[in-house]
Amino acid sequence: MSTLLFIVFAGMAIGCAIAMVSQTNPLYSAISLIGVFISLASIYVTLAAPFIAAVQVIVYAGAIMVLVIFVIMLLNVEHAEPRRRRLKFLVPLAVGMAGILLAETAFILYSVQSTPDRLAGNISNVGLTRSIGVGLFTGYLLPFEVTSVLLLMAIVGAMSLARRSTVLSSNARVVPGVQVLAMDIVNPRAVGDLRPVQTETTAEAAHLLGVDFQTDQNQPE
Amino acid sequence: MDWNNQYIHSLVLIVAITVAFLTIMLLVAATVLAERRVLALIQGRLGPNRVGYGGVLQPFADFIKTMMKEDLVPDQSTKFVFLLAPMIAVVTAIMAIIVYPFGPTVTLPFLGTFPLRIAQFDVALLYVLGVTSVGVYGIALAGWSSNNKYSLMGGLRSSAQMISYELALGLSLIGVILISGTLDIYQIVEQQSGWHGLQWNIIYQPLGFILYLIAAIAETNRVPFDLPEAETELVAGFHTEYSSIKFLLFFNAEYINMITVSMLATTLFLGGWNGPGVAQVPLLGVVYFFAKILFFLFLYIWLRGTLPRFRFDQLMDFGWKFLLPAAILNIVLTATFQFFVGS
Repeated sequence: MSTLLFIVFAGMAIGCAIAMVSQTNPLYSAISLIGVFISLASIYVTLAAPFIAAVQVIVYAGAIMVLVIFVIMLLNVEHAEPRRRRLKFLVPLAVGMAGILLAETAFILYSVQSTPDRLAGNISNVGLTRSIGVGLFTGYLLPFEVTSVLLLMAIVGAMSLARRSTVLSSNARVVPGVQVLAMDIVNPRAVGDLRPVQTETTAEAAHLLGVDFQTDQNQPE
Repeated sequence: MDWNNQYIHSLVLIVAITVAFLTIMLLVAATVLAERRVLALIQGRLGPNRVGYGGVLQPFADFIKTMMKEDLVPDQSTKFVFLLAPMIAVVTAIMAIIVYPFGPTVTLPFLGTFPLRIAQFDVALLYVLGVTSVGVYGIALAGWSSNNKYSLMGGLRSSAQMISYELALGLSLIGVILISGTLDIYQIVEQQSGWHGLQWNIIYQPLGFILYLIAAIAETNRVPFDLPEAETELVAGFHTEYSSIKFLLFFNAEYINMITVSMLATTLFLGGWNGPGVAQVPLLGVVYFFAKILFFLFLYIWLRGTLPRFRFDQLMDFGWKFLLPAAILNIVLTATFQFFVGS
């Protein structure tokens, strides 16, 4: 029974993976990728790892792919042009890699012949929520915390990058002479603050805005 | 009968799934009718009362009428995804049902003793959340594949709302998980059987229950959070281009979602099938279970007849700036309580 399920879901995973790579419409690729994730989750269930399966569906299929699909929908990405000509030099490399992968698979299949196909002892509680939780908060606490700090860094980094690009666009110019600026232009944190800030000279305005006045002047209109 | 035999077990599972499916479908029909009748009562009207006794056949008449309509597919739509979207919506809605126990272990004449549940597994709660999170695709893809600006905006609004409130929904359940120490819904229900079947989790988790209820109403796109299909403002949102059986699937999915979130609230906070007298008469548990679900469904209709709709920015502010921090506060409070007092 479990062999039959494995064949069904493995077939689905491979089919979806091939569809993901071969589709020209990016949205179809994304949907195929969701199919791959869900098939893999089903295989995890048959391998007595229900927690991993649930997390796979919630995090990958439910959260990350929703964002990907949102981006594809909102940007209205056109069909990808066939780029065979530009990437032609990669074909020998890909064939070589595929050969190595096949050799590895053959080696694994060959070496597994000599080991029993059923693991000895009771392993049924390895994939349960309790044992994973105990593992994460005792033996593997340091890697767990380091990973969370890493994710936090990524979030803060993305926030700061996104904010900086919205404060001043890359083609901002400093107008020569005396001028009045709104507070929320000068200070990115004062969102919606429209109190006027008067500058006496061009250099002062450039300083307030954080733009290099000299290089700006040299650029053509 | 030998219930442990593999083939008999498979057969029993198929029968159980069929019974659960039919029950849910009948409950959907009853809810649709009840919604119209109760709303009419609230608004001082009569409502549909001509088809069958008191209008009981009205949902079936509507079903046949909708089926007979022409199945339109927009010319410029993405055909495959257009077909796929309502299927995703209804399948993910229905898949969540298998984890809920309808009653305790009962003994029936000629059939023997068996538990009234379809599946019991370690991560039942995570399974429910996972299935719900996949359900967003049904709406997002429906809006996109129609190739209609209004449908796309409706789909985006709806999926943004569902993603935002999914977080608060998940976090509001963590308090219950902390108290029970398990993700298995069947065990969570069994733990609430103390005090003659009245030791419900709502006593320990009042804040969690209220947060869950609000998030669940938003998650199912009901009043006062029904912006995705605000019928007085939008042209029906994401399902503008859908007609006939495909529209019916979306319609069904919404009502099935209402029933499943009511089931989750019942099992996690209101003791599931627990109640006075269940220990003596196990079949009473089924009555309690459905009575609690019907209470939540009535609450949905009652709210629809009472409350006006949120504006979209109010909706987002409420979800992210009030509901989410409150859910985190609930987790902190519960964890502190469990650490110093509990167990």
